[in-house]
Amino acid sequence: MALLPTAVLAVDYEKEIKPLLKERCYACHGALKQKAGLRLDTATAMHKGGDNGNILSGDPALLLERVTTADKEDRMPPEGEGSMFTTEQVAKLQAWIAAGAPAPAQEKPEDDPRAHWAYQSPTASGHSMDSLLATRLAAKGLKPQPEAAPELWLRRVYLDLIGLPPAPVQIHAFLKDTSAPARLRLVDQLLATPQYGERWARHFMDIWRYCDWYGLGAQLRHSQKHLWHWRDWIVESLNADKGYDQMIVQMLAADELAPENRDNLRATGFLARSYYLFNRTTWLDETIEHTCRAFLGLTMQCVKCHDHKYDPIEQTDYYRMRAIFEPLHVRLDPWEGESDFEKNGLPRVFDLHLDQLTYRHVRGDEKNEDKSRPMTPGVPRVLEFASFEPKAVKLPPTSSHPVLLPFVLKDHLAAADQQLAQAQKSGDAGAVKLAGLRLAMIQAVYAADLAKGDKAIAQAAALAEARYGEAKAEEELVKAEAAPTAKDAEKKIKTAREALEKARTKVSAPGDTYTSLTASLKAQEGPGENGNAKVQAYPEISTGRRLALAQWIADKRNPLTARVLVNHVWARHFGVPLVADVGDFGRRSLAPLHQDVLDSLTTGFMENGWSMKWLHRTLVLSDLYRRNSSNAGADPQTLATDPDNHFLWRMNPRRMESQLVRDSLLHLSGKLDLTLGGPSLDPAKAETSPRRSLYFIQNADVEHRFLAVFDNSNVLECYRRNESVVPQQALALTNSGLSRECANALAASMTKLDAPTFIDQAFLAILGRLPLAAERKASLEGFHALNEDRSLFLQALINHNDFVTLR
Amino acid sequence: MTPRISPTPFLRRDILGGLGSIAMASMLRGEEAWMPPDGLPMIPQRAKRVIWLFMRGGVSHMESFDPKPMLTKYAGKSIGETPYKDAQNPEKLKKVRVVVVNDANGQQRNVIYPLQTGFKRYGQCGVEISDWFPNIGSCADEIAFIRSMWTTDDNHGAQVQFHSGRHMLEPRVPTLGAWVTYGLGSMTDNLPSFINMGPRFFDVRDGHYLGPAYDAVNLKVDPKNPLTYAAPEFQIGRQQQEAQFDLIHRLNGLNAEQYPGDKTRAARMKSYQLAYNMQTAVPETMNLDAESAETKKLYGMDDKVAEPFARQLIVARRLAERGVRFIQLQHGDGAAGAWDSHSGLKKNHSSLAQQVDKPISGLLKDLKQRGMLDDTLVVFATEFGRTPGSQGSDGRDHHPYGFSVWMAGGGIKGGTIHGGTDELGFHPVEHPHYVTDVHATILHLLGLDPHRLEIPGRKRLERDFGKVIPQILA
Repeated sequence: MALLPTAVLAVDYEKEIKPLLKERCYACHGALKQKAGLRLDTATAMHKGGDNGNILSGDPALLLERVTTADKEDRMPPEGEGSMFTTEQVAKLQAWIAAGAPAPAQEKPEDDPRAHWAYQSPTASGHSMDSLLATRLAAKGLKPQPEAAPELWLRRVYLDLIGLPPAPVQIHAFLKDTSAPARLRLVDQLLATPQYGERWARHFMDIWRYCDWYGLGAQLRHSQKHLWHWRDWIVESLNADKGYDQMIVQMLAADELAPENRDNLRATGFLARSYYLFNRTTWLDETIEHTCRAFLGLTMQCVKCHDHKYDPIEQTDYYRMRAIFEPLHVRLDPWEGESDFEKNGLPRVFDLHLDQLTYRHVRGDEKNEDKSRPMTPGVPRVLEFASFEPKAVKLPPTSSHPVLLPFVLKDHLAAADQQLAQAQKSGDAGAVKLAGLRLAMIQAVYAADLAKGDKAIAQAAALAEARYGEAKAEEELVKAEAAPTAKDAEKKIKTAREALEKARTKVSAPGDTYTSLTASLKAQEGPGENGNAKVQAYPEISTGRRLALAQWIADKRNPLTARVLVNHVWARHFGVPLVADVGDFGRRSLAPLHQDVLDSLTTGFMENGWSMKWLHRTLVLSDLYRRNSSNAGADPQTLATDPDNHFLWRMNPRRMESQLVRDSLLHLSGKLDLTLGGPSLDPAKAETSPRRSLYFIQNADVEHRFLAVFDNSNVLECYRRNESVVPQQALALTNSGLSRECANALAASMTKLDAPTFIDQAFLAILGRLPLAAERKASLEGFHALNEDRSLFLQALINHNDFVTLR
Repeated sequence: MTPRISPTPFLRRDILGGLGSIAMASMLRGEEAWMPPDGLPMIPQRAKRVIWLFMRGGVSHMESFDPKPMLTKYAGKSIGETPYKDAQNPEKLKKVRVVVVNDANGQQRNVIYPLQTGFKRYGQCGVEISDWFPNIGSCADEIAFIRSMWTTDDNHGAQVQFHSGRHMLEPRVPTLGAWVTYGLGSMTDNLPSFINMGPRFFDVRDGHYLGPAYDAVNLKVDPKNPLTYAAPEFQIGRQQQEAQFDLIHRLNGLNAEQYPGDKTRAARMKSYQLAYNMQTAVPETMNLDAESAETKKLYGMDDKVAEPFARQLIVARRLAERGVRFIQLQHGDGAAGAWDSHSGLKKNHSSLAQQVDKPISGLLKDLKQRGMLDDTLVVFATEFGRTPGSQGSDGRDHHPYGFSVWMAGGGIKGGTIHGGTDELGFHPVEHPHYVTDVHATILHLLGLDPHRLEIPGRKRLERDFGKVIPQILA
């Protein structure tokens, strides 16, 4: 690119040059890195220059030359690291240099990346969030809005804590005593209901990417079957108010922490969810990316290919983290009471290839591994407050040999018993014999498994298996001979005879090899692996790497973990998070306006045993949460200074998430089935199912038509829900059978009321408040226009903006 | 009904796509205040809308728009025995990224399979087109053929790749239709601005990080049930429903007193007006009673084989008339897509071609006679081509190295033959184009600069933006 003749161009360094250099150059020539010994973050630094001297001197100046040269090897930013400067940008840069590169006298260089606010431990301020917010409002001269009507507060806490709106009777009861102690009692009551766990599990299923298995037809490609066990674990853990630190450790390493605690093994569904049949690297990439984003607010996806452009994280950090997960694999363990893995099973992780080495992928290319140096497991150095030293874990026999789980024999026998009972009922002697031999075989095989290596017992097992095989072959032959006119009958009979011959030979010389009971199902390592179902024994130790990682994440000294969680919970109570990007606490996120609030809550949260219920209580009982969300009557100065409510002088209204809309409609109609947990439900039945929405199958293949309309969670990633407003939402609420049936059911409960009372009751039931005078008048007129059809009127109210809104 | 095309993209302003939180995050980061596009063209606009015809499964380029007589000449020989053996040079096969490892499909096929149909030249441009597409051939001078496409997925995930530019093993990103809707907003008060008809499998969503508001709305060509919730699922009279909407409107209006300045409330009121209109507009668009017999014949409605697709294309034209921005049609059932002719290619392709050939030519001619071809882009695409070698005795396998697509309409130089593959149809030998070059060209004609279609925190790669194909522009 030719340089333009120096034109007289007034260029503002702060506004036009610095942001450009920041965007294109600072990643390598700033505080983060100083390639060629060069920094561009102050004019002084540019004058000082790097290995090649002052970059602002010369004609043309070195800086200009390097951003304009046609030589791709020399041109900055290098190919693939950022786009070329445009002609206009070059002209400005040139003009600025020509003018003598003017810059402010006391220009400050970029801060040390390690000094980034989020990498420092939070400190408690000693003040409540309300007093911190109040001080800031007062300093800014902003006036907070008064309290919202108590019934609006009530609707907020109901929807926020249990995901269902309050019924009129609950509203009346609350209005009798709206004192602070009464509010505390109520919040505690709500937190004690099982619906609280369901409501908040749904939030965490968003963040932790809950996803039922899917693939192509019957081929499982993503996630694992029966992943709902993890969902149930989330619900139960929240209801039990398990510490968030414990939850993290269990999700990443329950199999290493306490391998015999089967309830908590369910937690590792978090990792099983990212299983991907076709590509190990894709699987581990997702695992690393989302583990870091969900728990730490670290963006790692770019570090896969190159050092981080904003944060002090290097590409090797990424592969050190990959080394933590390198041995990881997934299997189904048996679930007590069921021996068929199609019907039930426990998806769980374990370390399989303990010695598998990890190499850095050059520029993120999995086909180009840097074999010169295997990576040692570790966490990003910048956040390493103690050395990372995983300790191998010796696993109990039930982990390495699931067949030894106490219920395996019982469940296999129960299945065989059932077969026997059926055979006896049918009076078929052959079937009875077969079922009896199956029972004998199960016991013999199990005994052999227990007496590992005892030859006599193994021979007995082999014989029992051969006998069962013989009986089965006899059955087949009987079947074939019973249908002499069937297609290919002759051939079938011949095949069956041959099979029987073989089976009889086996009985006469059974040897000592037998087939163990199927007590686990190892996930395929790639589509080419066919013998995965036969694998029944696993390593007797685990590397302990995941446990070390989990303990580092869930450590009080980790400056990110609790902050990120508090920010997520805050966002879900107040509509707007304290740190705007909930998934990125890196240097792109400047210290938040309300950092003192975030940090005080974070320290309080950790001091209170990482208790989520403590956090909810603190937030929903705050002055801020009680405040009106409306601009109405606001101090004009306040409205003019802070129209977007950054200083939190009022509450923020929010829209219900898709699940809340559906669950609330069912709840209003009195039809909601509050059964907890269990297998995921077919979304085709969603229209008629009375279950809560979190129980429907969710994956990238199925779409639930009602939930989809209201911005359902994206299973690939969903750190925050969208809140769109589109006409399809209006159609769903006016035209769906769901909204109509809800209105019909409500109408049936309100038949005896006169028109004005009916309208008041309708408002109370659907919007949680009574109508204003003007609304009452409009409603009465509308009711008449609808020929006093109560159901149609109620359905109209369901379409009121305040129904889907948390006011 | 006269189609109403509103001159301003009001949806952009009045309906919230849910990107407010991103704008806010960018502001709080101290970056230059970021706002979603305002819906106005960024550069001169040549086309206003797109009709996207996607043939699922992989159309044989050699038996459609890039015939290769050498296949017949060398039939039965292995590629290694021909002068073109370098086509299978492993270096040249490197760019493909396998998803389904050890799959029976997506393999090198060595024995050359002859052309299964003849071909001839069409139009003044003299482009060679196979005998299975005579009607499209009759429109040759309206069309720019691109015979040098390549992609990297050797399996049907390439469908996702063709729509989004990203391979299946990479993160899902918004599809072209989502970017277009995001960039330009809507032109209609009555219909969704991004519509999909026909089956999808590998990814049923479009918006991804732009949000579900940018997913295509699925329409079925069935006036009784064209769109989820478009009609009440229960008995209600027209008057009653009007009274209901009136009441909703009035109450939401009164709500302004309690919540002045609440933009969401205002957007919701607007969305109810749209919804009300959509209830009439969608079934009305699907109803072809008002279409003349001539028009129906033009699209091939009188041919039983062509009738279903003909119906969809008439609907597509009606949607285009009514201001829909991006009309995405997926042809060919089944998970992999019907065009996937691993065996029986002749029977399969000839019958599928019969399903689409007449309707597509009808669409081009109809758009032209209505003066709409000037500002409507029609795109014919597929995820990859098929192998020059045979699979089994009578099929062709997936071929990501080279294939053909074409475009016609607003801003396109008709009668252009651009790029080309080698004598076997294996690799592009001039002007190779990755799939995003097609995207870039479409966005360019719509007046959008792909580099300005970015949102903070979502890095797009240079490859995602593609490069405009200048040779096919009018």
